[in-house]
Amino acid sequence: MADQSSSALEGVRVLDLTGGMGAYCTKLLADLGADVIKIEPPGGDPARNIGPFVGDEPGPDRSLNFLYQNTSKRSITLDLEDEADREKLRKLVPTADIVVEDFAPGYLDSLDLGYDALRQLREDIIVTSITGFGSTGPHRDFLAPDIVGVAMAGIMWLAGDPEDPPNLPFGNQGYFSASAQAAAGTTMALYHRDVTGEGQQVEVSMQEALLIAQETAMQAYDMTKSVRNRAGARGALPISIPGFGPYEASDGWIWGYVGAPGGAPWSDLLQYMADEGMEEDLLEEPYKGVIDQLNIRFLTGLAINPEEGKKHLPTLAHINEVFTRFCAAKGKWDLYQEGQGRRLLIGIVSTPEDLAKNPQLKAREYYESIEGSAGTVRYPGAPYRLSETPWRATRAPQAGEHTAQVLES
Amino acid sequence: MAANNHRQALEGIKVADFSWFAAGPIAAQAMGTHGATVVRVESEAHMDGLRGVGPFPTGKTGYNVSGYYNNYNANKLNVTLNLNTDKGKQLALRLIEWADVFITNITPRVIERWGLTYDELKQVSPDIIAVYQPMQGADGPHRDFLGFGAVLGPITGINHLTGYPNRAPAGLGTNYPDYVVNPMHTLTAIMAALHYRNKTGKGQRIELSQLESVVASLAPAVMDYMANDRVAMRSGNRLPHAAPHAAFPCQTIKIQTVFGEADEARWCVIACFSDEQWGALKNALGDPDWADARFDSLAGRKEREDELEEKLGEWTIAQLPEDVMRTLQAAGVPAAVVQNARDVLESDEHLRERDYYVYLDHPEAGRTAYDGPGFRLSKTPAEYRTAACMLGEHNEQVCKEILGLSDEEIADLMVEQVLY
Repeated sequence: MADQSSSALEGVRVLDLTGGMGAYCTKLLADLGADVIKIEPPGGDPARNIGPFVGDEPGPDRSLNFLYQNTSKRSITLDLEDEADREKLRKLVPTADIVVEDFAPGYLDSLDLGYDALRQLREDIIVTSITGFGSTGPHRDFLAPDIVGVAMAGIMWLAGDPEDPPNLPFGNQGYFSASAQAAAGTTMALYHRDVTGEGQQVEVSMQEALLIAQETAMQAYDMTKSVRNRAGARGALPISIPGFGPYEASDGWIWGYVGAPGGAPWSDLLQYMADEGMEEDLLEEPYKGVIDQLNIRFLTGLAINPEEGKKHLPTLAHINEVFTRFCAAKGKWDLYQEGQGRRLLIGIVSTPEDLAKNPQLKAREYYESIEGSAGTVRYPGAPYRLSETPWRATRAPQAGEHTAQVLES
Repeated sequence: MAANNHRQALEGIKVADFSWFAAGPIAAQAMGTHGATVVRVESEAHMDGLRGVGPFPTGKTGYNVSGYYNNYNANKLNVTLNLNTDKGKQLALRLIEWADVFITNITPRVIERWGLTYDELKQVSPDIIAVYQPMQGADGPHRDFLGFGAVLGPITGINHLTGYPNRAPAGLGTNYPDYVVNPMHTLTAIMAALHYRNKTGKGQRIELSQLESVVASLAPAVMDYMANDRVAMRSGNRLPHAAPHAAFPCQTIKIQTVFGEADEARWCVIACFSDEQWGALKNALGDPDWADARFDSLAGRKEREDELEEKLGEWTIAQLPEDVMRTLQAAGVPAAVVQNARDVLESDEHLRERDYYVYLDHPEAGRTAYDGPGFRLSKTPAEYRTAACMLGEHNEQVCKEILGLSDEEIADLMVEQVLY
């Protein structure tokens, strides 16, 4: 049924000159209905060779990351180092609304395919360039794999245990963020063109795309000249606060934020433990009295008044130990679903398996099964749901699969 | 990003911003800095929680000076409407009648209570683009689960996958999905919907389940389980197809803190994705004896990765990360400083030259830094015209100019705690 409805970007053509950093941007456009023509070098995008693969068997149409990032696109192969092929690309430009690229700054200009050259071929073209550091500034020519972007954006500094080196966020988050910003900027430029007829350049620097993800660190330094550092599992607090942070369940981990505003109070967690017969001595004093007032305000008070704080430390430590034992005796899904049922701020620390089996994602039919040459593969689905113009994904193309179709039409 | 006379991309677009915390306000702010008129709706009875969370400028307090809140609320008008009153709800619908885009990340239960579901909005504004960002969706068995604060991140899987395997799954140290992944997915969907409305006249409902949006950014690990039954485990800073790929300790420096002088450990990252880059790295190190032929292939480097990292660390520890970065980048090796907030604000000459950070004067907070745009439009750049909105700062302006109320009506609404 959904297939009969319109797509938001139907009729918009995108020439996709991206590799690793920008592929997710054009996937977002393609799944919204744009006709995205991926231009691959002869032999195909090198990202096709990066595992993991379907069935652990390498092959150009089996890379899971590649298959995911290239849904709904068509593919042609062109050698941009070859003038005859560049001419073929130039012939396509008048048919296109948008070009997205993630080459090193200046590379397309050197091939006479930069914005100024493309604008000669189509005046209102939108050209989106996704790079590590943008097209200006002293770092513009720096090599910028994901780790360079997240390091320079202040994100690694905040991640990890203080005893370890700064941590790399999983999953090329620098690339993802640059791509997401680029998709937003590109669609905004498209809207501007709809209204005014004017095209333009969209520039995304991976570093700039991520800087806002430092949360409060930038403002803390700007306002108080203090550097926020990585604090590991328990946050910046000198002691373990019962119910805050990661706890090990019998089969994995959960994350608590119990007593924070928005969720049920700690006394409800104590009730949960008592219902399961695992409250130990927490219904007795001094524990019960502390639990009844165990919220952010109480904890802030302890931090402000260290003398008072010291008095309560052994009590808090004991409550934490009992809660730790409670978690260790229960499964992570139990703690998550039963806890949330009681409106306690408890989250499961999902593994990929948990995500695949998550009942909420299942009930909402989040995952998509898509048939391809490697068989049926299951994919994470829509990042957003549009009621009139549903998101939809079809399989990633084989390298050059649509060369004849595109160039001859 | 100087102000210019050019029409901005979203000029004429009106946004009713009923969101709070970060995922909604950041998306709305990006519309505001690109020319849309954004009215942020809050209430003394339902204030944005970030107003109470620091950092605050030294010596200042109150709910208008939080650096956390202010960074996401520049270029907005602020009106206080108490949505727990009938009149407040009516005014909200009048604002929505005015708007092209409605956005909220408030939980579905409360949205229903306030009468702000899409079906209700459509009655007053048939072509509205109504954007909802529930934690896990507006339906399904977990729709009312709480994801506030640090809880959503772990549920999305990023905690399990980030960090060292011998540590608890501590995640990124921030509520990471709130700042880029969710707001920029949202903004992309809004812009696509505006394009479609411009063509067809049709509005629509957009729902971004924050969980679903973030899992989309962790796809390969989930697909690896679904295709291969493999449960990926966090593996520190290494990648299967690169070596070295890690953070390395550099020379400690002295810094000034509010408590006096202190040591600060410094770090750099170095990565080689090809044998060519490895050759360049070896060369930059001065071809040391240890870097023999055993390291010349990726397989060889992966096999001896502990040793490789140890030896590189012995080289980096005597240098400043800025020097490591310059030396290696000049040699053709990916390398960078692990920057902190002081670095990005004060030392990063590149960001300075590109004028990334924007400094705005705020009546109560003073002159403070704001994050600049995450994307740059060459002809219609972002403009940061006004500092963060204060609670109720534009009540009169919004009531008169947008809602068309008289002075008497405004006075009554204040007394009745509707404009509250």
